[in-house]
Amino acid sequence: MKNITKQSLVTFSLLSPGLVVIGCLFFYPLFVIIRNSLAFGEEQVFYHYIEFLSSSNGLYVIGLTCLLAFGATFLSICLSIVLILILRRKPLGHTFFKTLILAPIAIPGLICALGLLLFWDKNGWINLLVQSLTNHPIQVNYTIPGLIIFYTWLFFPYTFLITSSQIESLEKSIEEAAEVVGANRWQILRYILLPLVKPGLLAGSIMTFMLCFGAFSVPLICGGDYRPLSVTIYTTSAIFNRWDEGSAMAVVMALVQILFLISYIRIMRRTR
Amino acid sequence: MRYTKKILIITFLLCFAIFIISPFLIIVVTSFAKGWFGKQWLPQEWTFDWYHWAFQVANVGAILKNSLIIAALAIGMSLFIGLSTAWAIARRPIPGKEILYSIILLPRMIPPITYALGISNIFYRLNLIDTHLGVALAHVTLCLPFGILILSSTFEGLDQRLIEAAEVCGASRWRTFFHVILPLVMPGILAAIIFTFTTSYNEFTLTIMTYGPHTVTLPVKTYLVIGDGYWEVASAISSILLIPSLIVLIVILRSLKPEKIVGGFKGI
Repeated sequence: MKNITKQSLVTFSLLSPGLVVIGCLFFYPLFVIIRNSLAFGEEQVFYHYIEFLSSSNGLYVIGLTCLLAFGATFLSICLSIVLILILRRKPLGHTFFKTLILAPIAIPGLICALGLLLFWDKNGWINLLVQSLTNHPIQVNYTIPGLIIFYTWLFFPYTFLITSSQIESLEKSIEEAAEVVGANRWQILRYILLPLVKPGLLAGSIMTFMLCFGAFSVPLICGGDYRPLSVTIYTTSAIFNRWDEGSAMAVVMALVQILFLISYIRIMRRTR
Repeated sequence: MRYTKKILIITFLLCFAIFIISPFLIIVVTSFAKGWFGKQWLPQEWTFDWYHWAFQVANVGAILKNSLIIAALAIGMSLFIGLSTAWAIARRPIPGKEILYSIILLPRMIPPITYALGISNIFYRLNLIDTHLGVALAHVTLCLPFGILILSSTFEGLDQRLIEAAEVCGASRWRTFFHVILPLVMPGILAAIIFTFTTSYNEFTLTIMTYGPHTVTLPVKTYLVIGDGYWEVASAISSILLIPSLIVLIVILRSLKPEKIVGGFKGI
């Protein structure tokens, strides 16, 4: 008995440094913003929340954030499905493409943002191409469709990687069986492959959605007048110095993110 | 029919490759270009001026030094704290390991801007804003989960039989540690160092909430320069920033399967 307590004491003391630091640097700051967001002096404790969630600006910010995230998630799903279907036949240079897909993950968002701005600029390469075809430049930077393209570029790898890790574990024999029974390509895709990868696709898109929802550096630089939630939190608290309101927004954001996280974990567990 | 399909697939892959690579390419080209942008596909004159500017005017030398000091501090603290925790998670029986993992990984799953507000609030009171230690501590929030994750998976892979064999052969505890365990876990520790380094080196959100005039790091400087409208200089700084990330990308490809690293990889 004594030995067991001693063992668990050792385990606990080994564990504690990491947990204490995460507690001090993550949970305590979270606690601080929750405390800051509550208005103890006012009539209503949740004053800042009510103010934010009922104002037209607050709803606009949340709507914009969701619109960007949904748009980018949808595009990511489309892009990932096409890429997976092509790359799973292992065409020439498929390792090269898999490396390429990792690039937006491994390279800091700030650099990606600058590159995207330059590439899609009025004078960038895309517009040189467009101009040589139609003579009319297109405005991509600082528009909502532009931001959706940028988000897709940044975060589709997560949808791709999670889905493709699942599709690789699928057995070829299922497809072959469908073929034997006389299903054509489209039917195999629609009735066999898509239902089977649906959980993976769902998990991957939730991941992409979460990242789009929380993206900070890209909308800060490329957003222009469109400021999603993360940027609004930053500008309200650090620039306009209204920390209470900023904290309330941050709490709302963290709560939404935790909800998504829980559903993500649930789906991942079910697929296992 | 067959050919059209093949051509379609090839054009799609080509467009995709261009879509992904071009932003990086255009940064590098812009950083070496003289009086370009908007007239032709490629600049007519090449120059090192922007790098010269970056070092002379934007003072990138000092900023690089800041970045490296902060990264070194963050690595040191993360590994020092993470080693014992990772060992406990990997080698000792703990009830509810999954919950523990999710608690440790939580800082990477929630947008940093949310708790960065709290961190900067606390650091203001502790006078840690605009100190190397303060910025590095803020980075530890993101580096530590990563370090623990990598180290614990390394320790899990450690073969108990080898340790026992060393004991049987009469090695003391210290000797077992230095001559058996350490060489075996060294690759994992190196991987942890590399990953924590890039996390800290590239971190933007937490830095912008805790930095000051004396602790400007490369990402923050890039942001400030972009804000001022000097895109060429920003490109030059970005090209410098890009190098460690590329090295890491190569390391990942050499040693890991891309499909297995998704769990909370990128700080946003």
